Amino acid sequence: MASVPQLQRQFIEYTTSLHNEGYLDDQFTQLQKLQDESNPDFVVEVVSLYFEDSEKLLNNLATALQQKSVDYKQVDSHVHQFKGSSSSIGAQRVASVCVHFRNFCEEKNLEGCLRCLQQVKQEYILVRNKLEALFRRMMQLEQQILQAGGSIPMME
Amino acid sequence: MTEGVNGFSSPRSDVFPAGLRVLVVDDDPTWLKILEKMLKKCSYEVTTCGLAIEALDLLRERKDGFDIVISDVNMPDMDGFKLLEHVGLEMDLPVIMMSVDGETRRVMRGVQHGACDYLLKPIRMKELRNIWQHVYRKKIHEVRDTESHEGLEEILMMRNVSEQQQSDDGYLFCGGDMTPGSSRKRKDSEHKYEDNKEFADHSSSVKKARVVWTVDLHQKFVKAVNLIGFEIGPKKILDLMNVPWLTRENVASHLQKYRLYLTRLQKDDLKTSSSGPKHPDLPPRDAAPENCTESTKVQQNEVVSSHRTPNNLNIQNSNPTIHKVDIKSNASLQPIKPKKILTGYAAKTEMSHPFESTQYPPFNSMLPTQYSWGGGSKEIQFKQEHNPPQFQVQNGFFTGLGLPAQQNTMPSFQPPDPVTGPTWSLKDHPNNMELSPFLLQGQHFSSTNVDHQYKGVLSECNDQEFLYDTLRFDYEYSTDPLEWPVIDQGLFIQ
Repeated sequence: MASVPQLQRQFIEYTTSLHNEGYLDDQFTQLQKLQDESNPDFVVEVVSLYFEDSEKLLNNLATALQQKSVDYKQVDSHVHQFKGSSSSIGAQRVASVCVHFRNFCEEKNLEGCLRCLQQVKQEYILVRNKLEALFRRMMQLEQQILQAGGSIPMME
Repeated sequence: MTEGVNGFSSPRSDVFPAGLRVLVVDDDPTWLKILEKMLKKCSYEVTTCGLAIEALDLLRERKDGFDIVISDVNMPDMDGFKLLEHVGLEMDLPVIMMSVDGETRRVMRGVQHGACDYLLKPIRMKELRNIWQHVYRKKIHEVRDTESHEGLEEILMMRNVSEQQQSDDGYLFCGGDMTPGSSRKRKDSEHKYEDNKEFADHSSSVKKARVVWTVDLHQKFVKAVNLIGFEIGPKKILDLMNVPWLTRENVASHLQKYRLYLTRLQKDDLKTSSSGPKHPDLPPRDAAPENCTESTKVQQNEVVSSHRTPNNLNIQNSNPTIHKVDIKSNASLQPIKPKKILTGYAAKTEMSHPFESTQYPPFNSMLPTQYSWGGGSKEIQFKQEHNPPQFQVQNGFFTGLGLPAQQNTMPSFQPPDPVTGPTWSLKDHPNNMELSPFLLQGQHFSSTNVDHQYKGVLSECNDQEFLYDTLRFDYEYSTDPLEWPVIDQGLFIQ
């Protein structure tokens, strides 16, 4: 059974790697800092909202780009929104793709847009998977710590 | 109606800025939640809103129920800038704009429309902590305005009275009345100011209770204005309105805004021959044309001693009576001559700042039950098991750990590489580079701009259309003509 400090390190390692690989940026850290006793599931809630919203946006995007006559204004506004919400949880890779996406919208470049759509979907799925894994890991670690007789530490 | 309790004298004032009443407007649910949390952490009283119209309703319902409004620029049901203007006109609250888009033009528009600040997303808590300054600043300015207005009025009033009384002492006598116990000579302007201050303090405590210009009140105002025109001045309008608790200053500042609004409307009238007013509480459009010349005349009359020169524009004109409004809006009118460049620019950037049209599809209707991309079942599963309990984590655990910022204190593992800045910058604004020389160029035309602008306002001639066209360099051609006015002239608030 791993010791509490070891478990904690594992956890930090995992989140750090997410930052390193660019999946999450400082904004995510901000969210973590916002969580407190009055709102113990804050991060999870926010991220869940993001997932929900994102999926709608992605669907809208797909639909918009499938139209016979594509309304690039519309597409662009969806992308803009997606960029905004991705920045809210620090999903920076997703946000980055959005920037390119918007350029293609400007140029009314359908092919470019479709490619970006694929890309943005991929990045979104990636970050979603990572976050889900993170949450699961945390639950595990938490349980392990409790089982190891430790208490959940408050580290700063 | 103004309520007795005002922002500063309520019981909260001793722990200011705690309890600051903030209204947050954002269509992004994730951001709304985050902002709410952040603001609560600042000990502010938060109300959230997902729609601009909802927000306006709330504000109208709870008059004097909020101290400040924070809104995203891109709202699906209404342009954020428009909301900004409404709030300024109707409620006179400080408004902060937010956007993930930080392009200079956008920010400039925000400022032009009267935003007291423009925040870029992602927003940090420290930025939110300080928003109280905008509330405070506004209060101070209001008091100052009162004082200076009062000063002038005092003099006039007392002169009148003294004339009536036909005595030199009448002047003093009035002074005594106004400031009980003070019998100092009024001739010393300094003393005068001080005495007025006392009086002003009394009235300013009334003034501090923000006047909310309801539909009714505004109608009365418009009626009065239509009767006597702008030239006569706020005092007469006030008298005509016959609203006991309203002060001359209230009317004066509202008059200013109203004039601005009319000028915009008037331009809009020229642009389109159709459509009536969009908003019920705005005056009927036919009031606009006849007031046009009058408004400019009044503009001439109301030369304020403190000229506000805009960003970098050095207006050296022989006509000193250009109204503040004109000067300020010149910032947006700079690029008059190089229209070609503009259109080129416009074409290029046309897509980058789309206007949130009202044809925004409602999200719900677009949501299929199956997600066709990626690895099927796993995601769907997650979607269904979406409830937080699945991933419940202890508060301390999550908060305490996993902060990469902490890494430096954990020698046991390899210090991470700095998060490699993504190959694409999040704040990628290719257009910015083009904008600066563009802006610089615009400045050379300051003096001609002034003439154009002035001419335009006066003569309602073709120039105006020309002017109008050039203004839309950063703007989609909206289907709603009434939404155009918001671009060209910043709402001049305070």
